[in-house]
Amino acid sequence: MAYQIVVLVRQVPDLNAARINHSTGEIQFSGQMVINSFDDYAIEEAIRLKEAHGGEITVVSAGPAGAKDAIVRALAMGADKGVLVNIDGADKLDALALAGVLAEAVKPLSPDIILCGQMSDDFGAGEVGPAVAVALGIAQVSSATLVTANGSTLTILRDTEDGKQQVSVDTPVLIMAMTGLNEPRYPSLKGIMAAKKKPVESVAPPAVPASQTTWSAPFTQERDAAGVLVQDVPAAEAAKQLVAWLKEKKLA
Amino acid sequence: MANTILVLAETSEGSLKPVSLEAANAAIQLATATGGQVVAGVLSNAPGEAAGLLASTSVSRVLTVTDDALASFTTDAFVAAAQALCAAVQPALVLIPATTSGRDYAPALAATLSAVSAADATEITASGDGYAAVRPVYGGKMLSRVDLPAGKLAIVTLRPGSYEKAATNPDAAPIEAIDAAIPAPRVRVEGLLQDAGGGSVKLEEAEVIVSGGRGLKEPQNFAVVEQLAEALNGVVGASRAVVDAGWRKHHEQVGQTGRTVSPRLYVAVGISGAVQHVVGMQGSEYIVAINRDPDAPIFKIASFGIVGDLFEVVPAVVDALNASA
Repeated sequence: MAYQIVVLVRQVPDLNAARINHSTGEIQFSGQMVINSFDDYAIEEAIRLKEAHGGEITVVSAGPAGAKDAIVRALAMGADKGVLVNIDGADKLDALALAGVLAEAVKPLSPDIILCGQMSDDFGAGEVGPAVAVALGIAQVSSATLVTANGSTLTILRDTEDGKQQVSVDTPVLIMAMTGLNEPRYPSLKGIMAAKKKPVESVAPPAVPASQTTWSAPFTQERDAAGVLVQDVPAAEAAKQLVAWLKEKKLA
Repeated sequence: MANTILVLAETSEGSLKPVSLEAANAAIQLATATGGQVVAGVLSNAPGEAAGLLASTSVSRVLTVTDDALASFTTDAFVAAAQALCAAVQPALVLIPATTSGRDYAPALAATLSAVSAADATEITASGDGYAAVRPVYGGKMLSRVDLPAGKLAIVTLRPGSYEKAATNPDAAPIEAIDAAIPAPRVRVEGLLQDAGGGSVKLEEAEVIVSGGRGLKEPQNFAVVEQLAEALNGVVGASRAVVDAGWRKHHEQVGQTGRTVSPRLYVAVGISGAVQHVVGMQGSEYIVAINRDPDAPIFKIASFGIVGDLFEVVPAVVDALNASA
């Protein structure tokens, strides 16, 4: 059975290049935007399902014009086409509002399988996937670490605190990709060239959705005052201080 | 009833998960501050023991939904049971433990009920007539405060370890069963594959654990972690990132979907301290962190932190330990 697959992707600030300014308590980004790391697993899984069973992969994202870069990266990895729902300030939408926008864009595609990341690297809420599943009236499976497809039935392993839960579900279904689901490929040069010819449709949302919740600018957490922090000293000196502390606490 | 807080407890094979008592405590503290009442709901195939434990805290009452479909987690069954409890209680706020299950069904419940929500909160307070939740963002490096406006049902998942467990109260709260129509879940549970385990000393029983993370850069560099573990008579643990990468086995993984440990000493080497790792080791008596990023969230919970290159610091610590032995 060939699958109609949708992958939801999101562009996030490059956290590896972010620095926290401790005097102002603000986080400073490099301006570099990257694809959400969990989404790489979702894209890879979609490509593997297509390679094994056939079908078509549409990548859907909601964001400003620049979010097209995340879609193009997915196309370079092997997805077929993209839809960008053009919204400035998509990162000010709460999960329910964003899910409404995404569900509207996904619905006409009638996917058998929707894949998305377990959560985003920046806000890390993991709420959009379930809200999209509810909006579309389809089943959801989170924390997926293995997906096996057999016709319209998928067998999935979910990572839980008690072990790996094995479930089966019929399409259509939304699957949230956990790290370790697969080994995401890097786009090849050939893939990057091919992606330039793949279609990316840019659409406006039918209505600008309203957010019910608002949130503050990020702020830094106070360090536990009881802790000792050693920095800007040579390794040997730091080691000496640690060993003295371990002995004082009778840990060594 | 406008101020009622509903706590949805989670069980595992009939036993109450400790994080449920933490959520109950958060709700009790909030209700004490705002003058509301707390109702605990238990969704389980066998809620008896859990309901009894919750009834012996300062909650006003305990409601149970009993159904075989709640024996193992599915989104559909838990959303249906939670919906029945919400209909019975008409809460202003629902608090759900931020376990893998809670973080799966809470947003689905919020979307179903058009509720406002916040995920993985570390603190929940009253704010005006509504609520405010503080939650980690940017991999735990920063926090953000989510304002949940009054007049809308608010659904918040609470990160394990954020609150103490609720204290017992000799006046037992009444326990009532609630009828709920639980539809056949669209997701069918076929089984639970327990971790095969392995290793000579189980991580949960170790007095000293030395864990390595992505900061080690290459799998063979785990040797420095092993040397430090040996010098401290400890065992080796690992972060999810390095287990996913295939450097270490799953039985060594510490964190939300790995082992939850509380040794006397936990040493985190090249581990940034993402939320998913921290919930598995924050109960350790002493935490030592070695990391080159001064902003790494692990330093916020470390009893002793060293900002530096682990490839210089860890061998120096091993030398100093061996010299003093």
